[in-house]
Amino acid sequence: MSERKVLVVDDEIHIVHVVAIKLRNNGFDVITAENGSQAYELACKEKPDIIVADYQMPVMNGLELTEKIRQNEATKNIPVVMLTARSFSIEEDIRKKLQISQCLSKPFSPKELLRSIEDTLYQTVVQKD
Amino acid sequence: MITTFITAGCLALAAILELLNLGFGGGWEEGVYYSVHMLTILCLFIGAAGTILLGRHLLIHSELLDSIASQLVTKKEPKLSDEETLAAEKKQFEYFSWLPSKLKKQYRQVIIETLDGFCCSNSELQKQLRELKIQKQLSEKQKRNTEAIIYSIRDAVVVVDESERVLMANESAGRIFNFDFNKALRKHITEVIKEDKKQFIKLLRASKQDKARATKQEIVFSNDDQEPKTFNCIVSCVKDEKQQVCGVVAILHDISREKEVSQMKNDFVSHVSHELKTPLASITAYSELLAEGEADDEETRKEFYSIIQNQAQRLNRLIEDILNVSRIESGLIKVKKEPVSLTIIIQQQLQMIKSYAEEKNITVIGQEPIVFDQVYADKDMISQVIVNLLSNAVKYTPSGGTVKIETEVDEIGNIARVSVTDTGVGIPQEEIDHVFDKFYRVKANESKAKGTGLGLNLVKQIIEKMHNGRVFVRSKQNQGSTFGFELTLSKAQTPEPVNKM
Repeated sequence: MSERKVLVVDDEIHIVHVVAIKLRNNGFDVITAENGSQAYELACKEKPDIIVADYQMPVMNGLELTEKIRQNEATKNIPVVMLTARSFSIEEDIRKKLQISQCLSKPFSPKELLRSIEDTLYQTVVQKD
Repeated sequence: MITTFITAGCLALAAILELLNLGFGGGWEEGVYYSVHMLTILCLFIGAAGTILLGRHLLIHSELLDSIASQLVTKKEPKLSDEETLAAEKKQFEYFSWLPSKLKKQYRQVIIETLDGFCCSNSELQKQLRELKIQKQLSEKQKRNTEAIIYSIRDAVVVVDESERVLMANESAGRIFNFDFNKALRKHITEVIKEDKKQFIKLLRASKQDKARATKQEIVFSNDDQEPKTFNCIVSCVKDEKQQVCGVVAILHDISREKEVSQMKNDFVSHVSHELKTPLASITAYSELLAEGEADDEETRKEFYSIIQNQAQRLNRLIEDILNVSRIESGLIKVKKEPVSLTIIIQQQLQMIKSYAEEKNITVIGQEPIVFDQVYADKDMISQVIVNLLSNAVKYTPSGGTVKIETEVDEIGNIARVSVTDTGVGIPQEEIDHVFDKFYRVKANESKAKGTGLGLNLVKQIIEKMHNGRVFVRSKQNQGSTFGFELTLSKAQTPEPVNKM
């Protein structure tokens, strides 16, 4: 089975680093980006199986990134898991509209993040079948 | 009276004599006849004289009555003549010398009394009139005072009557709604308030309909060239005795600043929570990996420990910043002032900033230490100021740039001036005045680096509030900025050992 590819984007490099390590240790191929704009370009180029994005980022934030992903035919089906340090979670209707699969608030547990990613990918596979 | 009797008597006598005469014939009776005739003629003469006198009497009577009447009529407005003129007119009537004295006396009496009466009531009326004039002046003055107050208050006041015509609008109203308040009186409200502020008219109408005492609502207006402003609008109905709405009063209070501050606070809380959670997220994540044994080798583990420590320190600094600003603002911090050398503090802080600057590939330049730059200040606070200025400079300068810190002494002005110049992102002109505000973050630079908006505010509070100094800033967008402060030189100058850096 080919390695599943994860695109991780967060303006905080330590976060990107720790998530990358966790995912690589658990059999994922990880590509990283520092901001939403970089992430979009990478997503178009590499077509990852899933995107893990932070909400608050300069240039293009997580929501804007997701919107752009959904508008592009090539990337519109890539599931997105969002990390946010906001004190309240993203509104239900926005989550539905942008098809954000999961929302995790910071500080998060990398184990839980892994589980979310696994779950989401499983759901996607189930839907495809 | 007597004249009347004599006249009447004579005429009667004449009549009787004539009748008697008829009985007398000729002869010796002729002589009697003619005497009686003579008597009759005499009586007739006397009667005629009497009649003339009476007639004249009546004429004069009626003339005088006319005169009095007309005088009375004209004197209906006694204000026309003052006391003197009235007295003169009184005298006029005294010159009716051709009148029989009794008549004269009678009529003189009547006229004098009437004129006297007029004089009295005239002076009464004059007094009342004077009082009324004074009262009118007083109430006009009060009205002017009230209007002056209303016209000068900052809140906009608009009053309309039941047909929506402007009864009053003050200068502030004119400014907000963009009309000339001097010319708005009696115009219909729709002539005065333009389309873009229609919601105000809607409010007035709604209030009139509901007959509400006072309704409050926030409205936002924008005049094209300016920032939108928010107003608290209070509208009340004015009712007459029959409880019918006879007018509407609206007052607009500018709460833009309050809203701004409230928004800044919300932004701050949101921002701070993000800032606090980010290092915490790193700490949690790396700790978990270590705990789960996912750090394979010693080097990775060391790296993780280091990251955890750094992030903890970062968290601590942030918390300290927030607390410091709060404490200084509320005056809780005790300042410990002593003679300190700026050069030494700068040297220390340059050491501390070195690693951060190297990470970003930024050159930091100090200067040859100068002597006699002692100031009377709290060492920790000044250190904090310099740390903030230096770290800001490095933070907002892209890789490859330079940060320079210099001290100069102005002996004439007796001040020491420290300037930190960078080749960083700079600040747009319209935002320069705000950079020292609490929580303020330059919009253009928000994406370029993280910040709480507190660092510069802390600098300003320390230098200006606690040390009576002055902070300054010069900047050009995309070219760089110079931030600095001035403090009074300390009187006791001890020569500092010159250290080469």
